[in-house]
Amino acid sequence: MTDPKPDFSDVTGGSSATAPAGPAYNLYTIVSGDTLSKIAKRSLGDAAKWKQIFEANRDVIKDPDKIFPGQKIKIPTTPV
Amino acid sequence: MHTTPLRTVAAAFAITVLAAVTAGCGKTEAPKPPPAAAPAPAPAPVAVSVKSIDLGNAIGADKKVTQSMQAFGPKDTIYASVATEGGTGAKVTLTALWTYGDGQKVMESVQEMTPAGPGVTEFHIEKASGWPAGKYTVTLMLDGKPAGSKTFEVK
Repeated sequence: MTDPKPDFSDVTGGSSATAPAGPAYNLYTIVSGDTLSKIAKRSLGDAAKWKQIFEANRDVIKDPDKIFPGQKIKIPTTPV
Repeated sequence: MHTTPLRTVAAAFAITVLAAVTAGCGKTEAPKPPPAAAPAPAPAPVAVSVKSIDLGNAIGADKKVTQSMQAFGPKDTIYASVATEGGTGAKVTLTALWTYGDGQKVMESVQEMTPAGPGVTEFHIEKASGWPAGKYTVTLMLDGKPAGSKTFEVK
């Protein structure tokens, strides 16, 4: 029997640079049961920040109520 | 006879012509200035590259870790300080992929930037519930291409 894989869903992170920097973001793959509010709460500490995530992913998310497992989205760590 | 004035005029004319010819022959043109030296060619743009990766649990204002570490505690914030060099001012994407054990993804962070010389970028991760013990790797990618990695342990 193998040990269950550790859960890293509560890991947060970010970045910054001395060079002139552009946007910074974490990449996240949507899993079953996710909503943008849940992702915002977990990643940004505030469910109300779901719109920041939506705005950063307008190219892949057309409707914030329709996200799909397997979609890879950007979680902005600098304001968009 | 009164030929002297005519001879005198002729002689004076001859002297004047001779002087003019002599002066003309002796005239030298001002030397041409040497051709302007061709400007030194601009140094070829150097692509961005990762110079070093250092790990630690704190960084300074310069984005460098205050102390290089390979082992961390479960509650540590883990920093990867990435020194880069080169760059043309064009946009590049530096990605840090953090993995656990045999490759389980922990976090993938991206920093876009426009470097035109040496710089330092820090990536960090933290886990409120504590890091599981084990071996981890952070792999750096520049515009999607592997640019170095570092392993560390949580005890």
